[in-house]
Amino acid sequence: MQNITRIYALSKRNIILRYKNSFAGFLWGFLKPLLYLLIFIIVFSSQVSANNYVLYATSGLVFWFFFSNLTHQSVNSIINSNGIIKSINVPTIFFPLSEAISELFNLVLTLVVFLIAMHWFGLVYSPLLVFVIPAAILFAIFSFGLSLILCSLNVFFRDVGILWTTVQPAIFYLTPIAYNKEMITKNYPWVVYYNPIYYFIELARTILYQNQMPNLSLWGICFGIAGGMFLLGYVIFNGLKNQFISTI
Amino acid sequence: MNTKLISFKNVTVSFWQNDFGVHSIKDLMKHRKQPFSNKIILNDVTFDVERGACMAILGRNGSGKSTLLRTIAGLIKPIKGQITINGTFAPILAIGAGVELELSGYENINLLLSLYGRYKRNSNTIQDIIAFSELSHEQLSMPVKRYSSGMVARLAFSISIANDADILIIDEVLAVGDKGFQQKCMDKIFGIKAEGKTILFVSHFTEEVMKICNTALLLDKGNLIDSGTAEEICNKYMRLFP
Ligand SMILES: Nc1ncnc2c1ncn2[C@@H]1O[C@H](COP(=O)(O)OP(=O)(O)OP(=O)(O)O)[C@@H](O)[C@H]1O
Ligand SMILES: [Mg+2]
Repeated sequence: MQNITRIYALSKRNIILRYKNSFAGFLWGFLKPLLYLLIFIIVFSSQVSANNYVLYATSGLVFWFFFSNLTHQSVNSIINSNGIIKSINVPTIFFPLSEAISELFNLVLTLVVFLIAMHWFGLVYSPLLVFVIPAAILFAIFSFGLSLILCSLNVFFRDVGILWTTVQPAIFYLTPIAYNKEMITKNYPWVVYYNPIYYFIELARTILYQNQMPNLSLWGICFGIAGGMFLLGYVIFNGLKNQFISTI
Repeated sequence: MNTKLISFKNVTVSFWQNDFGVHSIKDLMKHRKQPFSNKIILNDVTFDVERGACMAILGRNGSGKSTLLRTIAGLIKPIKGQITINGTFAPILAIGAGVELELSGYENINLLLSLYGRYKRNSNTIQDIIAFSELSHEQLSMPVKRYSSGMVARLAFSISIANDADILIIDEVLAVGDKGFQQKCMDKIFGIKAEGKTILFVSHFTEEVMKICNTALLLDKGNLIDSGTAEEICNKYMRLFP
């Protein structure tokens, strides 16, 4: 109970901090995907064989930005909270966790707007859409696991944060978000199939775009990757957490 | 009930320290050695604190006082030794402790109270904090980064004493407040002491220490070199600087 209040307070802090002193504030959550969408429509829509390109790209974009914001915010979560870590006994895992929760909150808002707006672009309302929730949770667990690794290593090697900001756009363009996966799988199938993010995007997109239930093996793969990443992250974080205070 | 509130037995604390200024992977490649070495900060420290005691920790700059307080508060895990604690803590009160610079005074009050684990707080607590800090509504509404250091200390001290914990930890915080506030803090500390709570106090002002504390520890380079009554230790501490 005490801990729930703490995580809630930290998540609230993150949200306040993020939008403080910014004019558009919360709107940025929507403006960013929207801007990318416009670029994609201009660049890709004639090359990609999707019968509804706007819905296709947007459903991928929403989830990509969830992943990208979450990891980006978490990388520095430990370093930025050094004042609290040095004076209050709060489990350090709460800092990346609260980042993940505030980003989930953002995703929920974005998805609500998405569901309303995309109706005009051919999104079919059906009970199946409920499965977006477990899909988002699996993706969140995966992203949180990765964040644990990034933020704990970043305490000792600040390169990790810089490196992550640098490789993120590369991952973005190598993941079939704006284009069909066939554009890559023709020549370099491994680029897609070894990319864990591809599976989560595919999961969400099967529900939102194709309006179908993803098959069991896709759920299984996502479940496995999410669980594995979370465990790995947790082990690394736990191994390093006692020395955070001496380095930040 | 156990009267020993805090008990340290042969506690050793060490920090990882990078000796070559390794702050990036590039440096690591160049040196190709152990990037981190262990540096002992507290060496084999043993002491007890009775319930209701008021203990000072004295020592030169860098002797490990703040580190000792953090270890007591459970922020730092020792590599050797045993720590037993039978009580709850107010957070460590250092200058600007845990205060988020970008947030306003009000937002900080809410955040820190929640982090201390006060989930059942009522508006009374908040009123008390505001009253004690003597900060105006206007000041509490602006981001803490625009506060003066005395104002930050007022805010942090007020929040931290609102927490009715068993142990109050104070790390050189009174120095920046003005005369009025220092007096007010002293009165409050005596009040807390009268309630039978335990206070751990770090300060370089021996008069303050002798007024507030009964017992004291003297640290030097991470070693506990002496412990005894506040007066004895204060005299010893003075003799460190001939
Ligand atoms: N992160 C760190 N890594 C390595 N050594 C550290 C670190 N933090 C502190 N130290 C060392 O630990 C020792 C004790 O530091 P500490 O902050 O506890 O001193 P202090 O007694 O509180 O001093 P002061 O009176 O200046 O507040 C110092 O020698 C300092 O160099
Ligand atoms: Mg200190």
